[in-house]
Amino acid sequence: MTPRDPAIARRGAAAGTVTPLGRATPAASRLLGAASAAQRSLGRWGILALAFALVTGLLTHGYHLFSYPLYSTDEGIYVERAWAVIREDRLSPVTYFYDHAPGGWLMLAAWEFLLPKHFDLFGNPVNSGRVLMLLAHLASVFFLFEIARKLSGGLLAPVIATFLFNFSPLGVYYQRMVLLDNLMVVGVLLSLYLLLLSRARLFAGSWSGLAFGISVITKENAIFFAPTIIYLLSRRTKGDPSHRFAMTLWLFAAGMSMLAYFLYATLKGELFPPQMDFNLAHQPQGHVSLLYELWYQLHRNQGTLFNHGSYLYTMWLPKDRYLLAAGLAAMLVCLYLGWRDKERNLGFLVAGTLALEIAFYLARGSVILDFYVIPLIPMFALCIALVADRALKSLPGPAARVAVTVVPALAAALLLLPSGGYLLTHDPQTGKLKPNDVYYLPLTYLQQEQIAWIQAHIPPTARIVSDDDIWVALHEGHPTYPYDESHFEAASDPAVRDKVFGGNWQNIDYIVLSNGMKQAMILNNTGGQENYILNTLNNHSTKVWQASRGKVSLAIYKVQK
Amino acid sequence: MHDLFYAGLVGFSLLVTVQSAHTLFLTLYTWDRPPTEARAPERFLPPRLSFTVMLPARHEEAVIATTIERVVRANYPANLIQVLVVCSVDDDGTIAKAEEKITELRREGYGNVSVVVFHDNPINKPHGLNAALPQATNDVVTIFDAEDDIHPDIFNVVNTVMETEHVKVVQGGVQLMNFDSTWFSALNVLEYFFWFKSRLHYFARQGAITLGGNTVFFDRALLVRIGGWDETNLTEDADIGLRLSGTREKIRVVYDDRYVTREETPPTVTQFIKQRTRWCQGFIQTMHKGTWKGLPTRKQRLLAFYTLAFPIFQALLGIYFLFSLLTMLSLKTPVQVALISYLPVVMLIAHFLVSVVGLREFTAAHGLKMTRADVVRLAVAWLPYQLMLAYAAGRAVVRQMRGINNWEKTAHVGAHRGPSSEPTENVKEMVDDAA
Repeated sequence: MTPRDPAIARRGAAAGTVTPLGRATPAASRLLGAASAAQRSLGRWGILALAFALVTGLLTHGYHLFSYPLYSTDEGIYVERAWAVIREDRLSPVTYFYDHAPGGWLMLAAWEFLLPKHFDLFGNPVNSGRVLMLLAHLASVFFLFEIARKLSGGLLAPVIATFLFNFSPLGVYYQRMVLLDNLMVVGVLLSLYLLLLSRARLFAGSWSGLAFGISVITKENAIFFAPTIIYLLSRRTKGDPSHRFAMTLWLFAAGMSMLAYFLYATLKGELFPPQMDFNLAHQPQGHVSLLYELWYQLHRNQGTLFNHGSYLYTMWLPKDRYLLAAGLAAMLVCLYLGWRDKERNLGFLVAGTLALEIAFYLARGSVILDFYVIPLIPMFALCIALVADRALKSLPGPAARVAVTVVPALAAALLLLPSGGYLLTHDPQTGKLKPNDVYYLPLTYLQQEQIAWIQAHIPPTARIVSDDDIWVALHEGHPTYPYDESHFEAASDPAVRDKVFGGNWQNIDYIVLSNGMKQAMILNNTGGQENYILNTLNNHSTKVWQASRGKVSLAIYKVQK
Repeated sequence: MHDLFYAGLVGFSLLVTVQSAHTLFLTLYTWDRPPTEARAPERFLPPRLSFTVMLPARHEEAVIATTIERVVRANYPANLIQVLVVCSVDDDGTIAKAEEKITELRREGYGNVSVVVFHDNPINKPHGLNAALPQATNDVVTIFDAEDDIHPDIFNVVNTVMETEHVKVVQGGVQLMNFDSTWFSALNVLEYFFWFKSRLHYFARQGAITLGGNTVFFDRALLVRIGGWDETNLTEDADIGLRLSGTREKIRVVYDDRYVTREETPPTVTQFIKQRTRWCQGFIQTMHKGTWKGLPTRKQRLLAFYTLAFPIFQALLGIYFLFSLLTMLSLKTPVQVALISYLPVVMLIAHFLVSVVGLREFTAAHGLKMTRADVVRLAVAWLPYQLMLAYAAGRAVVRQMRGINNWEKTAHVGAHRGPSSEPTENVKEMVDDAA
């Protein structure tokens, strides 16, 4: 019996066999069996399901967007760099040292540039970035929906995937933030979506390569997805006359986007370190270097993700243990099914390996920040959706009818039961039922009050050490504070530390503490570079303003000279 | 002043990039379409249409007999084929060789070949074709060049396409074959490969097509109705294609690796430049003539104008290339400007990679072997070849401006028919003579 056998085709379709997605090349035809649902248009139910996904994404991520979570240092950094692109025609207001490729904040700068009042349109400058993140999330929802639909050949998987992607508190928390990872995810999903287009041909593949390349120069860890995407492209064009061209153009488009970053460094004379010095013990002096920074990043190590006290236990599991546990299990199932039958279970193989690649990235033992979990969320959602879809389709009739009611019940439990925690939780202090913090707890008003106090009480000529979260507000607001510097730069960038502050506490007028900034200064003080600021804070300053809510605490110190 | 210069540099770099991207799009158009768009029919209808084959020849003693032989022995009933060898009266050598072959064929019972000799000027291909057109008696008129190796089933292909699709004009595929003869032949081969296999399909779909000079099939009545070929035009094929497009005549392009007409690359750089100069000048002539203005839609007019004006752009590209080399080595520009000015280089790399894959596709399709040395040669020859094209385009522009319109004939040595690609002594003399 060959795969062309109609019986197999029917059985495959009935069991939700992954459809081959696209033009019916000979190889694709074998995979297809029956006419693919993936090749069909959305239909009325599909449009309704997609609209539901987009609207719920808009609501979960848009509601309370400007109030929670607290503006983070990283959000401030990227808004600050976008500000530098627009206002100063450079990639950073201070020395750009190739810590990240600039694709993300170039997009952010383009967005800000298009807005009528640029950074001021939505109040705090970070807010306009968050609106972009909302749009990015909606784009990701669309792509994830379509990817799940094309990989599963039905509507159940996309509905489940986008439900988890939209409602997971872990996702809502991080996806609202102005982070490069959120833009990177859009690029990766777009790259996959283009490869899965039912009319996908050569040029769609090239655009896919370009989207992937841009996602890598938005956030470098996107490169971990490359094996699966290239494999998918290869499978999609297998047996097609355009195969070689498609592979070549994809690699070219992706590669050239990345090479642009290296070309930039070359043109700036910053590709290699001075005297080709790659000694990690002593950072070479003279100028920054892309290759040195890459070398440095590759050798960073910060223990394992599975230590108690790691973000896995302190941030991710408390926010959504269900997604992480079910996602891990579903990833393993996907890998098993996909590996067992690569021809018929392409979708499982794709979803499983995508999740595995980013899970490997997180678990490999290098430096991990809490928001690095962002790309894992859609991939876990996809795995769960595909496995659930397959499980439901393989159930016999009566059981399937029961299961059809179980799925919405599970969703409702996640949303409404406090133990689910997606919408409602118990207040840890009072034990009362309340909405999840992401829809309820206002925090950013503290930072707004801090900024307002500065603008009302501190002269614009003051030399301030602050955090990046309010940097653009102080540089773009009224009045502006041109001598406000981030403590990272005040400690580490010679152009700021030596030229603005001279490394001397007496040249600091105010220290504006963000939440956890003092702790960050201590962590960043391995070489003693923060000493003069910490010394100022501890021995030569007086607190002149403070605000707190729960564990969040902000303060302003005036230096006594 | 600096800002103005940078703005100009950025603007031109972007323009070149867009143009180059569009060229890449045309180059790969076929591979982005369903394969049925390009393929020949898998099954042939019984022969019904009759064909008049015109073989315009000048100083083609070396190859004309073989070409006649191939046409006459095609897999199509001889009574449905008429062959007209078209020569000017002064070309005694070719006429003699053709007559010799005709006599030989008559002995075998083939009486469907004759020589048409024209006595008046200009001595060029379109004039010869117009002179022979009144002698054509069959349903369909087609042209093959004297050095062409046609596929035996080409008439079956066209008969089937014309009968099933009810089209009156069919452009068949033409393919240079001797990709390893000279340092530039692989690139020349690829130009044909992409032109016939891809670009022409796009032009046909858009309804603004510059036809090829051979393996093109016209309904005879249609051909007579539009008045034959323009004798003053160096690329009468491009001109007639646009004139037909202007009448909204549907034109079908068939490029199927199995049925291409095989040709050879010019044997020397001089010959190549002269051939390319003629084509470029012909396009410029056609542009000035304004045939493209008669196309029905703005998009068609724009496409035709772009195609015809391309030689001018190509000449400018050559200048830009030299200029950019100079600026790359000597000019210190802001990083943003430098990055944008590198975009054309990126596109150049894309074109090169596509060429490497294209050569792989070409050799695989024709049962040839591509080696790593071929890729290296392609890489080494890449830029000189682009400069050679730009030089030929510039030469065409200059000739057109100076009003020089004579036909610079390309010599043929039959390199696509045998293992040797070196011109023989006799052929070398002929090449010099033709030059």
